[in-house]
Amino acid sequence: MPKTPVAVIGTGQTKFKTHYADKTYVELAQDAAKLALDDAGMEPGEIDAVVYSMAPTQFMGVNDCDRWATGHVWGKGKPYMRIHAGGATGGSALHAGYVHIASGVYRSVLVVGADRVAETPDAQHILNLIWDRFYEHDFALNTVTMTALAAQRYMARYGTTEEQFAKVVVRARKHALGNPYAHLKGDITVDDVMNSPRVAYPYKRFDICPRSSGAAAVVLTNLDIAKKKSSKPAFVNGVSAITHSVFMGDRMGVYSETEFSDHDGEWIAGYEAYRQAGITNPASQIQVAELYDPFSTFQFPIIEGLGFCGRGRAAAISDEGGWDLDAGFVAIGPSGGTLCTNPIGVTGLVRVVDAADQIRGKSGQNQVKNVRNAVATAAGGSTQFFTVTVLGEDHAPAGRLQ
Amino acid sequence: MDVFVIGQAVHPPAMRIGDKRLEELVFDTAYAALKDAGVSREQIDHVTIAGCDELDGRSISSMLLAAPAGAQLRDEMKCTDSGLTGLCLEAMRLEAGIFELGLLVSWCKPSTAPVEDVMRMRCEPFYTRPIGLNMTITDGLFAQAAGAQYGFDEFDADEVVLDSYRRGAANPRGVGHAVPGVADISVSPYVAAPLRQAHQAPITDGAVAMVVASGDWMKRNPRAKALARVAGIGWRNEEYDLGADRLTGLRSFKDSWGDALRMAGCNNAADLDLIELDSQTGFHELAFRAALGDDMPKAISTSGGAFAQNPYFCTGLINAAEAILQVSDRAGPIQIPGIKRAGAHAAHGFALQANVAVVLERV
Repeated sequence: MPKTPVAVIGTGQTKFKTHYADKTYVELAQDAAKLALDDAGMEPGEIDAVVYSMAPTQFMGVNDCDRWATGHVWGKGKPYMRIHAGGATGGSALHAGYVHIASGVYRSVLVVGADRVAETPDAQHILNLIWDRFYEHDFALNTVTMTALAAQRYMARYGTTEEQFAKVVVRARKHALGNPYAHLKGDITVDDVMNSPRVAYPYKRFDICPRSSGAAAVVLTNLDIAKKKSSKPAFVNGVSAITHSVFMGDRMGVYSETEFSDHDGEWIAGYEAYRQAGITNPASQIQVAELYDPFSTFQFPIIEGLGFCGRGRAAAISDEGGWDLDAGFVAIGPSGGTLCTNPIGVTGLVRVVDAADQIRGKSGQNQVKNVRNAVATAAGGSTQFFTVTVLGEDHAPAGRLQ
Repeated sequence: MDVFVIGQAVHPPAMRIGDKRLEELVFDTAYAALKDAGVSREQIDHVTIAGCDELDGRSISSMLLAAPAGAQLRDEMKCTDSGLTGLCLEAMRLEAGIFELGLLVSWCKPSTAPVEDVMRMRCEPFYTRPIGLNMTITDGLFAQAAGAQYGFDEFDADEVVLDSYRRGAANPRGVGHAVPGVADISVSPYVAAPLRQAHQAPITDGAVAMVVASGDWMKRNPRAKALARVAGIGWRNEEYDLGADRLTGLRSFKDSWGDALRMAGCNNAADLDLIELDSQTGFHELAFRAALGDDMPKAISTSGGAFAQNPYFCTGLINAAEAILQVSDRAGPIQIPGIKRAGAHAAHGFALQANVAVVLERV
């Protein structure tokens, strides 16, 4: 069992936008670190170790850019490591920070990162290079076309329509209006989404996240320090991840253990994280879900995978406004989510920041009432890396492995 | 720590492993480690990966390599600093009480990567990239500064390199480099004065994997035999910029060892019987020895270290594998009798920006 409960006592994120012409990459990371430290009421010297969150460095053009950032995030002289799981990086980095403390090796850890996805003129070209060079590079595979294939399969299985996905975009942009850090936001209509330029069926431009630049940070501590430093910490009560094969075809059909279009990794990781956190009925015990949903088609399978409703039911509930911020059910993406803001190397961490802020009552205009538990997810690779983090206002019972 | 290595495998190294894809290299090594431990992949509840996208030539290399590393439908985490950092992370994952039996896999196949180009792209774009800094030049700057600070020169480096090659030649797990004559070393071309080409450890291809278990798992599986206990871990970074103090202070080397030794209950490095150092050049080895000072273990880099094999990113984890072989009496012809505690070291980043230390103990 963990040697101590682990708590989030400080969070920070910058505003997200396409380009930051007035700051270097490392200055962005520093801004988020400073915000999180200030929020925690801590000086850099009180941080024992740093975990750096960064996905492919090819987006911003400096290999192993975490090394450049060492001094800027006050990592000089400290234990410092970088975690990288593609789009799931931020969630995985949070989990790495968690084990630093739960193991009893360190007392307080800064998890921080930054990304500048738009530094490269064509992020999707970089994302073509993630596939096998012999068999897959020459296909037009990138994250857009890859997930479009999964979306088509999901539509075929459950009868979901493009208009239902468009409503997800409308809700996300509306939620983002109350989030001062969100990249895309606004009052748009289903017609706006449907009339935006076609990219890859079923995607139109508005179904796809932006390329965002910005940074995020979280201060994690053990129970003793959390009690001293924070009147309302958010406890990290469940951490789980699952990795699939890269090959999408191996994740469907009668011989597959899982179903690609259902984002089944979310269910496997979610189940384990819930078990650790003592969550037995997620729809009634969890009030907020911050999802890694860079495409409008991601929400429904993730919502279903996390057990908030049955398979194939999320779209109908969405149509009725059931996932809205103020619906009184599970508020999905009250920040506007990944669909509105996607700095890939830290997106999973932003999800944790937003979920923790909901627990801590610090979400301002987007605060959901009476949040006791929140879940944050991340996904990466060929939708193959999944992380699920459960946060709560109380720490879970100590026993974990059963 | 209540963490134990119960099996391991080091892939036979070569200057270029040309008959396997990276996926095959990783799979064969992970599979061999499981076999060595006598456990199946189904028993593994998590996987820790240490890899470098840039040296692998892929944007998210774990996409293709996680499954060959045993991570299919497992909780997998990847760090990008060094193979030995992966062992530190793996030890914490087990100590955190969430997992019980893990597989740690690290690899590097730099024969397919333009290493100096990868390193040059580590430079930030404003100051260091325009002047053409790379690994060799920063190693040369380090050699100059550390030599002046600690009082050694290139002739001392010649001797250390020669000795390292001799030790490496005796190690059956090395590449089998021919031992050069001291004259061959001392007249090899300068690559960044005072660093000569022959002072640099040749970079090779390789991979290493370990099966690591919690104490609870060991209690429930009494027939499992631990090869070593992970007694202490430490890793520290220094600033990115190459000031004089940064080049000569060896602070992260000293502090990472301080952390690992303290956790292991040791007073200093003299409490260890052996340290396997990650010395990428003869000057690095001289600087490390100077930093250890009077607190020297009985033996240094018995395996030959990077001059035996040097799959750059995971050389430190290879060092840990060699240390584990020593404390489990499996080191073959280079076995030192009676080794109880051995240390493994990794260095990474320009001019030793970061160091990693692990203490492994006989069980």
